[in-house]
Amino acid sequence: MELLTLFFIVLIAAGLGLLIQWLPMRHQPMPTYPQRAPFLGGGLPETHAWNRYHVRYYPMTLLLIAFEMEMMFMYPWAVVFVEQGMKAVMEMGMFLAILSVGIVYGWREGVFKWQ
Amino acid sequence: MAVSWLSRLAAQATVPVFPVRGMHGEPVLHRLALAAGIELVDSPRHASILLVAGGVPPDQHDALRRVHDQLPTPFATLWYRSEPLDELAGATRVDDPDALPEALKTIHRELMSGKRGSSPRLLPDEPPNPWEGLGDDGHGGEGMMGGVPYGRPMAMNMTDDIRDGLTLDSLTVTLGPFLPMLPPGLTAEVTLQGDLIQSWTTHSAPYPIALESAFFQALQGPVPIAELERARARYHLKRLHFGLRLAGLERLALEALRLAFEPHPGQNRVMALRRRLVRSGFFRLTTTGRGRLDENQARRVGGIAARAAGLEEDWRSGDEGYRHLNFRPLTQREGDTAARWHQTLAEIEQALQLAGQAERDAVHTRRSDGVETPRGPWGEYRPEDASGVLEELLPGLEWDEAMSTLASLDLAPLSPWSLEETSEAPVPTSVEERRA
Amino acid sequence: MIVSELILPVLLVTFVLVLGAYLVAVLDEAIAGALGMPRATSVWTAPLTQGAWLLTQQANATEAPDWRAWRLAPALYLALAAIGLAVVPFSPTLIPTDLVTSVVLWGSVEALATVVIFLHGWSANTLLALIGAYRYVALGLSYILISMFVLIGVALPAESLQFSQVVASQEGLWNVIRQPLGLPLFLIVGLGMTFWGPLNLADSRDLAGGTASAVSGPPRLVWNLARAAMLVAFSGAAASAFLGGWLGPWLPGPVWMLLKMLAVLAVLLLIGRLVPRVQPERCVTLMWVVFLPLSFVDLIWAGVEALL
Repeated sequence: MELLTLFFIVLIAAGLGLLIQWLPMRHQPMPTYPQRAPFLGGGLPETHAWNRYHVRYYPMTLLLIAFEMEMMFMYPWAVVFVEQGMKAVMEMGMFLAILSVGIVYGWREGVFKWQ
Repeated sequence: MAVSWLSRLAAQATVPVFPVRGMHGEPVLHRLALAAGIELVDSPRHASILLVAGGVPPDQHDALRRVHDQLPTPFATLWYRSEPLDELAGATRVDDPDALPEALKTIHRELMSGKRGSSPRLLPDEPPNPWEGLGDDGHGGEGMMGGVPYGRPMAMNMTDDIRDGLTLDSLTVTLGPFLPMLPPGLTAEVTLQGDLIQSWTTHSAPYPIALESAFFQALQGPVPIAELERARARYHLKRLHFGLRLAGLERLALEALRLAFEPHPGQNRVMALRRRLVRSGFFRLTTTGRGRLDENQARRVGGIAARAAGLEEDWRSGDEGYRHLNFRPLTQREGDTAARWHQTLAEIEQALQLAGQAERDAVHTRRSDGVETPRGPWGEYRPEDASGVLEELLPGLEWDEAMSTLASLDLAPLSPWSLEETSEAPVPTSVEERRA
Repeated sequence: MIVSELILPVLLVTFVLVLGAYLVAVLDEAIAGALGMPRATSVWTAPLTQGAWLLTQQANATEAPDWRAWRLAPALYLALAAIGLAVVPFSPTLIPTDLVTSVVLWGSVEALATVVIFLHGWSANTLLALIGAYRYVALGLSYILISMFVLIGVALPAESLQFSQVVASQEGLWNVIRQPLGLPLFLIVGLGMTFWGPLNLADSRDLAGGTASAVSGPPRLVWNLARAAMLVAFSGAAASAFLGGWLGPWLPGPVWMLLKMLAVLAVLLLIGRLVPRVQPERCVTLMWVVFLPLSFVDLIWAGVEALL
């Protein structure tokens, strides 16, 4: 039931978002080509903007994957944490310590820089 | 019924204005920034009025037409001390800065109520390249990347990136002359890889900027130093306004602008502004130690940029009047964006302090063979356009760094007209004439 | 049954979202006025008149946008805000959807927000929007871990991943005192999710509006609305996780909840007006090198504290 309610909430919010756009726009003609040109302060581009974009923080995204995997363990761990007591603290502490070394190493290697 | 109710509500909205900054148009935009009920927006898509502030040279009329056509309907144009384009001969023109805010509000109200029609489109409704029905799939494309899908070619690149040597696509665009982040009038062909600037070629120089008449009088004979220094402080405060607004510090930007409009801005208020700026994290969060000028470049730009790079070049050191006030040029060492803002703030404070001292002792300048303008020394020649330095400085900078570097640099040539006479100044006809 | 479990939650979420978004605009306008920025119309009507103007303005198009993605992105961002608010408890009984894994769901809202904001900038196919989009991803990938660790921190004493349990676990002492690092770190996440103020890397001034630079009219209205709604949803999550949600003397639970949400909003909007936009590269470094290790400290602190 909860999921069904959530589903309806998503449906209504997204529907509202589309409706507010669609209702006033349904009779509007397509803007002219000069209007559709990208705004560059009066200048023009030579090409489309879509390209093989040079994402400059790619090493950081790899580091993120390591952490995201760790999160999977963390959710169940959070629920049983109090039951397990000090043992759970030590385990996660060690885990985080190892990951922290990774961050420090990454920082030293310039992982967070725009390459 | 419902629609009229909506437009009546829309008529009361804060008027979103996209300013086209023409020649000598800056002062009125500063006044508008402080006016209530008007918002100066950064993109023509967010505006209901295109305000052309100041003259636009004819060779940039095409760019003006393109910006004009990028406003969504309904929109209107307003021309401040500027001749409307031939096609828009009937458009409203206002020359009185005091009447401008009201005129903008009236136009917006009339637009919303339907009393005034939307400005017509000026350019023909044609794609940049014909594409419909052409090419392999009828969308103009050929093969994987060829042709002109939907009117434009796809980006392609065969050169290595300057930072990490990868070969990905680069985009080449022409920026300006009316991009709000660039100095007014500056046009450049820029190649970007990702958000990093690969190359920058300045096509046309920024429009000349006008100084207060005090600086012109200083070349004729002695002028009170107090007057000169206050004019200097006002000039730099206005630059500071631009830089802070770009950095997302609207409140402090307005504070700087308000100080610039005061006849006798207090030195303690500038010091308070500097303290708040440091506390907000402006220097630590928005600058990265990039945008550094070497000695040659710093000398070419002159003024604040030179002193921020450690060059003790200041015409005032040679003036008896200033020596009497114990004037000593301030300098920074780094020569980067942060250093230039530190220098700007320090020079504003220094100027106000000198002004206070000079007023007490009624000190006048003694030399009239030259003057230190806020833009650099004006001896035999007026400070000229220095935007050429961008071609060496900006490549390798990320977009945000490039824009904040640009904001911290003052590159425009000085206008032969003083601020007080700009309303009579003619608009040059071409780029060449502006350079000369 | 249908009324209490379906219609009431839907109405509640829609109402709080719309009213909240309006209040965000009013509050931001009021703060701007208090800080000395020129404002003409009254703060109460300003958001309405601006909205009305956007509804009458023509929707812009670009030369070859990804139409579906471009129109969907604002609507999806709004939907994400609605999901976020749906898991926020207003009282022990008044919870739109009381999922047992609501904290996990909130985490996924944060992750998907990055996708939607990227899509908004990318699909326009214009340079400035594209830069805004890619730049935002760097921020989105950086704040998400901080948020995870901080939220796990509040789940520890509750022994549950359910927001209502998290609130209940704060009966004795609110998490804002019990885990002092938690709320400040979570506020940074909030600014990131809504690219507000110092973390406005997506729609910033140096990009002439970034992902929104090519948008006008109704789509822009929805985008602004969704952004404000996301702030509201975030304030709900922050109030439940750190400020004891509905807990408080004298007043009824939902009133306390709304007051706390308003307090969180006021703090966020104030930060937005006082701190400059952080340079993207510096932002990523700050997130990973300063705030992420701080969130580790917060988690270990929370763990040790939960056992004492």
